[in-house]
Amino acid sequence: MTEKQSFGVAPITCHSFSGDRNGLALSHNNNDVILYKKQAGKWVQKSELTEHGQRVTGIDWAPNSNIVVTCGADRNAYVWTQDKDEWKPHLVILRINRAATCVKWSPLENKFAVGSGARVISICYFEEENNWWVSKHIKKPIRSTITSVDWHPNNCLLAAGSTDFKARVFSAYVKEVDKKPAATSWGPKMTFGNNLAEFSTGGGGWVHCVSFSASGDKLAWVGHDSSIGVVNAANEQTLYTFKGKYLPFYGISWVTESSMVVVGFDCCPKLFTQRPNGEIEFVHDLDVPKEADESKMSAMNRFKNLDKKGVTGAESSTTLKTQHQNTIMQVSVYKGTKADCGSVATSGIDGQLIVWDLKSLEKSMSGLKIV
Amino acid sequence: MDVMSATLKPYLTAIRHTLEAAMCLENFNSQNVERHNKPEVEVKSSKELLLTPVVISRNEKEKVLIEGSINSLRISIAVKQSDEIEKILCHKFMRFMMMRAENFVVLRRKPVEGYDISFLITNFHTEQMFKHKLVDFIIHFMEEIDKEINEMKLAVNSRARLSAEEFLKRF
Amino acid sequence: MILLEIHNRIVVETLTAKIKNALEGNKPDTVDITVADFDGVLFHLSNPSEKSKIRVSISLHFYNDLKEHGANELIKREYAGMLTDTEDGYNVSVVFDLENIPSNWEEQVQKAGLLKRNCFASVFEKYFAFQQAGESGKERAVIHYREEETMYVAAQKDRVTVIFSTIFKDDDDVIIGKVFMQEFKEGRRNYQQAPQVLFSHKDPPSELQGTDARTGENIGYITFVLFPRHTAAAVKDNTINLIHTLRDYLHYHIKCSKAYIHTRMRAKTSDFLRVLNRARPEQEKEKKTMSGKTFKMS
Repeated sequence: MTEKQSFGVAPITCHSFSGDRNGLALSHNNNDVILYKKQAGKWVQKSELTEHGQRVTGIDWAPNSNIVVTCGADRNAYVWTQDKDEWKPHLVILRINRAATCVKWSPLENKFAVGSGARVISICYFEEENNWWVSKHIKKPIRSTITSVDWHPNNCLLAAGSTDFKARVFSAYVKEVDKKPAATSWGPKMTFGNNLAEFSTGGGGWVHCVSFSASGDKLAWVGHDSSIGVVNAANEQTLYTFKGKYLPFYGISWVTESSMVVVGFDCCPKLFTQRPNGEIEFVHDLDVPKEADESKMSAMNRFKNLDKKGVTGAESSTTLKTQHQNTIMQVSVYKGTKADCGSVATSGIDGQLIVWDLKSLEKSMSGLKIV
Repeated sequence: MDVMSATLKPYLTAIRHTLEAAMCLENFNSQNVERHNKPEVEVKSSKELLLTPVVISRNEKEKVLIEGSINSLRISIAVKQSDEIEKILCHKFMRFMMMRAENFVVLRRKPVEGYDISFLITNFHTEQMFKHKLVDFIIHFMEEIDKEINEMKLAVNSRARLSAEEFLKRF
Repeated sequence: MILLEIHNRIVVETLTAKIKNALEGNKPDTVDITVADFDGVLFHLSNPSEKSKIRVSISLHFYNDLKEHGANELIKREYAGMLTDTEDGYNVSVVFDLENIPSNWEEQVQKAGLLKRNCFASVFEKYFAFQQAGESGKERAVIHYREEETMYVAAQKDRVTVIFSTIFKDDDDVIIGKVFMQEFKEGRRNYQQAPQVLFSHKDPPSELQGTDARTGENIGYITFVLFPRHTAAAVKDNTINLIHTLRDYLHYHIKCSKAYIHTRMRAKTSDFLRVLNRARPEQEKEKKTMSGKTFKMS
């Protein structure tokens, strides 16, 4: 039901899969991006992308064109194209003077968005005549660091979350590369940088992650006030909020048009659903721990522990029974699409990447119904 | 069970829950200074990145200040000191530990004013260590520190008593 | 709980070794040893002329204070036959002749070890005598027994009052000192025969008011009130032995307490570090045994 691979004790900052799901790009909380290939069910390291001068903060592997884009705390983004076994970097002129925080290809893969601590979003596209990537800035009314971006399926609208407690929808229509889009449920005015909508759950929490549903009508986000917010643009943009007793969530992804998987500081992925009346409801944990068996400890380990940690064996301190042993930083669709997702992948500070097979989990857990 | 120990458990439980929530940290680069990555709870350069500080107190003398931010949190503890000897024992002990702050990675070299000892936990700590065990550590520290100071005080007292008796009985 | 020894152990042991060596018929060797004792006292063991003589000299920087109270006389009485020309820079010298060892040499060696105590004793004996004789109104004796620390002795008809002023170098010592003095006060309840012990911090006791006795945060005064039952001839030596070591006894135990606290803090600190270490994940390592089997370290 789950496939788990540990990549060491270093946190996995971010991950992205190739379109055929045989490639995986990871950053282990440092300046490099490592590309893995799936061989006999295991991720095996293939190449290293070493160009960033500071920590890598975002990776997106374009499924169709097979181009990887990365961004980092060094204020740069690189576009990596594969030439046989080699990956070649192209520097992108982001024109920002603070760390880049997140990056995402648009659905048509003709441009990408980079969020940053400079309180701007850079929308980057390729200029044929100069043979380089240039960027346009969305500035207003962003008042703090951008934490997360997500594209609307129409390739022109962009959702962004920020530490100024807001989730927003902008037009990222670039006339140089895009055809003029039709009006959507989010509004008609498509001028570049136009802020079509702005939402807050009111709790004053930093927005950590935003996600458009497959149709693009729904926008969901999670905040540090332990809330989930969902707005349905087709339904007069009514805001529904869920606030639970959980620790804050850090990542969210739609898995059907009405259900989403959220992950975060409590180390256990959870399934939520928006009911037809709009209410957001907790459905089930994806990670239901078995009773932990106290494995026998060897004499040597016993003494090693006694010396280093001052405990003999089964200690009185807190143990986590979840599969992830630390904060989950990201959730992504692994199999299927946001409209009908077969499995999701989660990665976190504990250095693990876990793939959760939603269909078989649904079969095995009576309370877990994905609608 | 006396009144004091009866109030200890809820006090520590409240601190544990607050710490669990406040220890939700992420790596966050400065949005004000280029290429900087500093604990926001210390530099306080963007007020939207700070959480409202919380004080949990058991009584006037024993309290904990928990200051959260997006990438760091500060925990400052006022340890019980009911007389002069407890005061110097506490002071000596805290100074002893702070001189070893390098080993104690999460220990702040100076306490926040009005408190005896401060811990500074950043996202780098929560990335390298298990969050829930860091919480365990702080709670363990709080449980033990009163006990230890009390035992040290008893030891000084009993040495004083014995040495006085030994001296006086020789007359 | 150790009481401090009143004789100087190094002096006694060195002399004993040398004399035994001589008694066994071995050749004497050169001696030149300087030994420090409490209160800035120095002992010097050396050969004045030939190797067969060992001279023991003591220097007390407050000997002049003691001389006023008959130290010379007491020393002459106690060390009759042992005294020699006083070595330069010292206050009293006694000599042992290895070629002519008296039968009571062990007693004499003990005495040499007690030089410091006996120098001190003069002032007590004098004032005990005043009290025993019912003489009062004598001027109090002031002995600057350490830099910045003073001992006062005064006699009245029914009592002798001994006051030590003492300096606590560290603020913490003041507080630990107070704990000790409190116990001295309370401990007396169980030992009725012991003299009354009083402690005052910062200001001198009323007896010393109007004198140049110092005041200050780190100054303490210890007062003994000695009654005839302490000053009588039969017990006076014991009283002197105890009283003149009290100041050092107190500071010694304060130091021990601090050392103990330090040890505990060190132990507890490493205990805290262990608990903090529990938060660190351990990298799984695979190791191979000799036979090629692998096992996992966890």
